Amino acid sequence: MKLMNRLLLSITALLVLCTAVSAEERLKMSTTTSTQDSGLLKVLLPPFEQKNNCKVDVIAVGTGQSLKIGEAGDVDVVFVHARKLEDKFVADGFGVNRKDVMYNDFVVIGPKNDPAGIAKAKTAAEALKMIAAKASTFISRGDKSGTHIKEKELWQAAGVEPKGAWYVEAGQGMGPVITMATERQGYTLADRGTYNAFKGAKTDLAILFQGEKGLFNPYGIIAVNPKKHAHVKYDLAMKFIDYVTGPEGQKIIAEYKQHGEPVFFIYKK
Amino acid sequence: METLYRLSNIRKSYGQRTVLAINELVLRPGTLYTLTGANGSGKSTLLSILAFLSPPASGELFFGGAPVRWNNAALLPLRRAVTLLHQSPYLFNGSVFSNVAYGLKLRAIRGDEQHRRVEEALMMVGLAGFEHRRARELSGGEAQRVAMARALALGPRVLLLDEPFANVDRDTSALLEELVVSLPGRGTTVIMTTHDPEHPDRLGGELIHLVAGELAGPLPAAA
Amino acid sequence: MDFFTESFHTALDLIAARDPDVVSAVTVSIVVSLWSTLFAALAGIPAGVALGVSEFPGKRWAVTLLNTLMALPTVVVGLFVYSIISRQGPLGGMGLLFTPSAMVIGQTVLAVPIMANFTLSAIKGADPRIIPTALTLGAGPFASVRRLVIELRFGIMAAVIAGFGRVIAEVGVAMMLGGNIRGYTRTMTTAIAMETGKGEFALGLALGLILMTVALIVNLFLNFLQQR
Repeated sequence: MKLMNRLLLSITALLVLCTAVSAEERLKMSTTTSTQDSGLLKVLLPPFEQKNNCKVDVIAVGTGQSLKIGEAGDVDVVFVHARKLEDKFVADGFGVNRKDVMYNDFVVIGPKNDPAGIAKAKTAAEALKMIAAKASTFISRGDKSGTHIKEKELWQAAGVEPKGAWYVEAGQGMGPVITMATERQGYTLADRGTYNAFKGAKTDLAILFQGEKGLFNPYGIIAVNPKKHAHVKYDLAMKFIDYVTGPEGQKIIAEYKQHGEPVFFIYKK
Repeated sequence: METLYRLSNIRKSYGQRTVLAINELVLRPGTLYTLTGANGSGKSTLLSILAFLSPPASGELFFGGAPVRWNNAALLPLRRAVTLLHQSPYLFNGSVFSNVAYGLKLRAIRGDEQHRRVEEALMMVGLAGFEHRRARELSGGEAQRVAMARALALGPRVLLLDEPFANVDRDTSALLEELVVSLPGRGTTVIMTTHDPEHPDRLGGELIHLVAGELAGPLPAAA
Repeated sequence: MDFFTESFHTALDLIAARDPDVVSAVTVSIVVSLWSTLFAALAGIPAGVALGVSEFPGKRWAVTLLNTLMALPTVVVGLFVYSIISRQGPLGGMGLLFTPSAMVIGQTVLAVPIMANFTLSAIKGADPRIIPTALTLGAGPFASVRRLVIELRFGIMAAVIAGFGRVIAEVGVAMMLGGNIRGYTRTMTTAIAMETGKGEFALGLALGLILMTVALIVNLFLNFLQQR
């Protein structure tokens, strides 16, 4: 028993030591999975963390959930892609100082033989209409993410209410949805960054429709309103926003490449 | 003469079945009692009441002249005066020493006195030098003797024995019998159950006979 | 290359290179799980003992409730704790959400019913002579229960091991309350979930192999303690 007590005591002491981390400041940011999964944050965050002696804690979830976490005041800054929801977030007083950061675009991907023939479509809405008409399998994110919100806008524009066995609501992130579409040989709407990361080894689906204005995918960053939540680290959040939208951050974003291709684009000033 | 225990209208039942019904019984200190009766006659039930381990359903038990109050605070000093030895005793995991010293530790008896009393008790049961043996690796007879030593080390006023010779070999049995007979002379009252019909005569104690939970035959002298 | 061999090679490569992300995830997993196990043991074992040795009206209901709590999905526990420690919740002022402390809280809640239940079964199966023996040798009620616990240390250590197994393997609480923050709250399991999401199946499986190795080492250690 004595030996056991001593062992337990030493475990406890060890735990206390392990847990005592340095007291550097932590900035909490909720963001969409695409910024994390694309690998951009791994190169974008370290220079800022070093300069300000802080850590940026990234909570990567869908855009809808990111904004909800921001509304509750559980993070200091949100970095998402759903312009309409972002504007509402600011208008409702939850966020201040929204800034454009970067953009890329959405693409409709599907099996190479393109059973619905959407490659010939003129607009994204028309492409979706053709998929619905053929009742070809379509995997929807179904998770209130930025991509899901864009998809719903497109169905509305197409005048189709997607329903039926062909329309699969996955309720999962972009990666799992691309995997599911690959396994089921169906169509889906994806952001170009995530698709690029999957292209080749992880999916044999091809881009079948792209390049329309309506598929524009802008990313914005917003500080959580300190008037709503007094505890948020507003000053550090503003420093981060200035960094991401300033020359240093913008250069890193513009130069970031995956498989030799750029993932995000910056606005020309 | 003073009395040690007095039982008055003690009843105990399990469900509908009454297992013990004793109207009046007086036990004197420094005496050896043999408690006999068929299986299920209430011997073990009586012992556990006398050990203050389970309360009677009704009736009054007196110990040293005072009525027993069945609450934890009042029972602790009583239980420290009386020790029950089960017919197949439970030995704690660990060494023989830690078993025999258990009750001494609870009484906050100091280390050297502890060692002395453990040694003495083991000597009495013929297991001198067994301190460091693992209790769980002993033979049945040895285990019975360690349990006896564990009780004797406490120097109890009353030692309650439930069939102490039932599960042991003949040599152990002879040794324990001799030991038990010597205890009343040292001031320890012994109440032991047995179903060996020769025991009461051979051990020379006073006889208490139970039939279906009730006292039968001649009663031991009250005074 | 075959999927499994690829995973196996990836695992070995990650270990050989002491990949900082993997090292950090392993550390977070172990530290958080051990804290949770410790706190859950401090609450769950006494609760199981108390339930095991006492008789009171409604005891059967308490045991049924305990069994039900054992079946709670981790995400429900996560959600429940989330609602308490979010800035909107009653303990919001402490700023615990998305920290290792939040994970410890959630996993403790998760492990307490398991440990209490295992302890309860150990006591139910205990030798009925233990308590009377301790009492007749002069133990008070508390000392007799203490002796019971010492006699049952195998069963109680099994409770600790089961609780540890549950928390190190779970992903729901860690993901929801920790937020899978790289280098801070990312555990082996949340890392596996994330890599799977990214389609990095081989990497996910490799991390799974490492997690199993880590769990094996910790369990060997706990087993060693149990033998004492």
